Amino acid sequence: MKEAYLGIDIGSISTKGVIIDEDNNILASSYIWTEGNPLGSAKKLLGILEEQFDKETYQIVATGTTGSARNLVGAMVGATMVKNEITAHAIGTTTLYPDVRTILEIGGQDSKIILVENGVAIDYAMNTLCAAGTGSFLSSQAKRLGVEVEEFGDIALKSTHPTQIAARCTVFAESDLVHKIQMGHPKEDIIAGLCKAVVSNYLNNVGKGKKILSPVVFQGGVSKNIGVTAAFKEALGCDIIVDENGHLMGAFGVAILAGRSSKRKVFDFSVEDMEFKTRDTNCGRCPNNCEIICVYRDGVLIDSWGNRCDRGAIKIGTKLAN
Amino acid sequence: MNGVKKVSFPSFTHYNYAFKYFMENGVGARYIMPPQMTLRTLDRGTKASPDYVCTPFKTTLGSMMDCLEAGADTIFMSMGLCRLGYYGELQEQILRDMGYQFDFVNLSEYSTGKRRDYIKALKRLNPRMSVAKMMLVLAETVKLVEQLDEAEAMYYKNCGFEKVKGSCKTAIKRYHTAVETATTGRELEAAYKKFKKEFNEIELDKPENPLKVGVVGEFLTAQDAFSNLDVEQKLADMGVEVYRYLNATSRMFHYKGKNLQVETSEYCKYDMGPTSTINIWAAKNYASHSFDGIVHIKSAGCTPEIDIMPVLHNISEDYKIPVLYLTYDSQTSDTGLATRLEAFYDMISMRKKVL
Repeated sequence: MKEAYLGIDIGSISTKGVIIDEDNNILASSYIWTEGNPLGSAKKLLGILEEQFDKETYQIVATGTTGSARNLVGAMVGATMVKNEITAHAIGTTTLYPDVRTILEIGGQDSKIILVENGVAIDYAMNTLCAAGTGSFLSSQAKRLGVEVEEFGDIALKSTHPTQIAARCTVFAESDLVHKIQMGHPKEDIIAGLCKAVVSNYLNNVGKGKKILSPVVFQGGVSKNIGVTAAFKEALGCDIIVDENGHLMGAFGVAILAGRSSKRKVFDFSVEDMEFKTRDTNCGRCPNNCEIICVYRDGVLIDSWGNRCDRGAIKIGTKLAN
Repeated sequence: MNGVKKVSFPSFTHYNYAFKYFMENGVGARYIMPPQMTLRTLDRGTKASPDYVCTPFKTTLGSMMDCLEAGADTIFMSMGLCRLGYYGELQEQILRDMGYQFDFVNLSEYSTGKRRDYIKALKRLNPRMSVAKMMLVLAETVKLVEQLDEAEAMYYKNCGFEKVKGSCKTAIKRYHTAVETATTGRELEAAYKKFKKEFNEIELDKPENPLKVGVVGEFLTAQDAFSNLDVEQKLADMGVEVYRYLNATSRMFHYKGKNLQVETSEYCKYDMGPTSTINIWAAKNYASHSFDGIVHIKSAGCTPEIDIMPVLHNISEDYKIPVLYLTYDSQTSDTGLATRLEAFYDMISMRKKVL
């Protein structure tokens, strides 16, 4: 029986999972939409991974979770490693591309830049307070234009004269966009303009003051959009590497981290059949009124978080009262 | 009671202990300790504030409401070198419009730089105040602020490495209680001595070369744990020595702006606001003492702190030190903060191993 590691990245928009062996080869992988239900999509993801996975030769001995729902899904699958997505991405990419200097990442709700030197992250930045110029912006504009977001890149490349679109803020960009549509700009020019707007927004906000050195790797869901990649190439004037597994990098990174740590716990696909429930309660023991999230597996509390002090601590193992 | 006021100053880290000591023993007024800020404070302050004002306006306004409801009949508000200078006037108007009845002593109205004008302000709290006594207690209060700041610096430098969880917190809490009840300078000295002794006896488990992070930023948000969602504690808990040069001692009582400006002249020619010179100097100082990282804290829309960010970029590049920029508004979820801090910690610790 050979060892294998599972990594799950549950983002706001999509849920990604990979199973890797000891030499970081991907044995199984999947990418599905979260659709506002992290627990449900994680279960679905595990179902897909189980079908691809060879249980006879491999055994999953460590599990890692990352992404914005890492705690919730970590509690569900009994993760041995729960890590933030910035570290997970840095580890994943530097493993595949040891001499990378800059990692650009645009996901559904956030975007980040990681600077690397000698295979170690030396500086990073992440968007604050606002989700302008991320994947969710592109997909909402796609809906407005009546095209699938997956076709965006191909349409954008057809344009020879991209429309100028104000990119500072999603709300302003949208009204600018509507205006340009009504003026009669062709669709492909507008879509190419949007891709350019995403890039200039990224470089002005997240990338501000950061020295972007080649080789540059571009990843995250938006990296699948060749229009944005082309716009990055033009803006930075250097080649952009987009890995075919670029959208899985977070899951890949956390699987590597889970494998590297000494913590071991055999993962069992039976969690797919268990029932998970979350419930939020208000502590009420002081005016802070912390919102405490409790996670129950088959009616038994397995984890809780959200309390700021010990007064709000909840005993693990309590039964769900109905 | 013949014009003696029950005065309060909005909650601001440990400085309310110093205010209390000064007001009760020096001025001879009664001091109402502001209740600890909670989400309710911030909520009410935000609702009553203009939306785009800096966050400290919202927290101090909320805290003023808490103070008035806790029994204060007079609010004392500080002056300031940025928008803070206009806080008092607007906050007074907002509170009056809401129907609160109180006296408002706004130091901005007395900030002529002349001693007799400040004394005028204080006489409003107690008309029969003895100026000689007040001056004496003022000196003791300055000393107290220095000691409070020093105690805090010791705390954040070491609390991440204690062997018994919570022992540092207990020691500093005990010190604060002693300070709150002290009535003489001698008692203050004794309390500080006792704290130092107790704190130095706490067993630590510190590696030889621990991770060091320096904090710079806006005066209130960087110092007040409630306003910055306890960022220094969170960093320390990961096993980091946390330093912050910025505090009342170094900015107000021992401020050597000219010298600091000369020492940072390669980065900026002019003073850009209340805390910019001190922050640039501190950042350069951390960088040149091979710290592992700098955290810059500001509230959304704080212009002086936005101005120093390009300088921090330059320092970061010259000394190859990562800077984490954190912007606070009235959000209270710390998930986003935890993600950024964790990633920052991972990065500086991996970097340290390689370099």
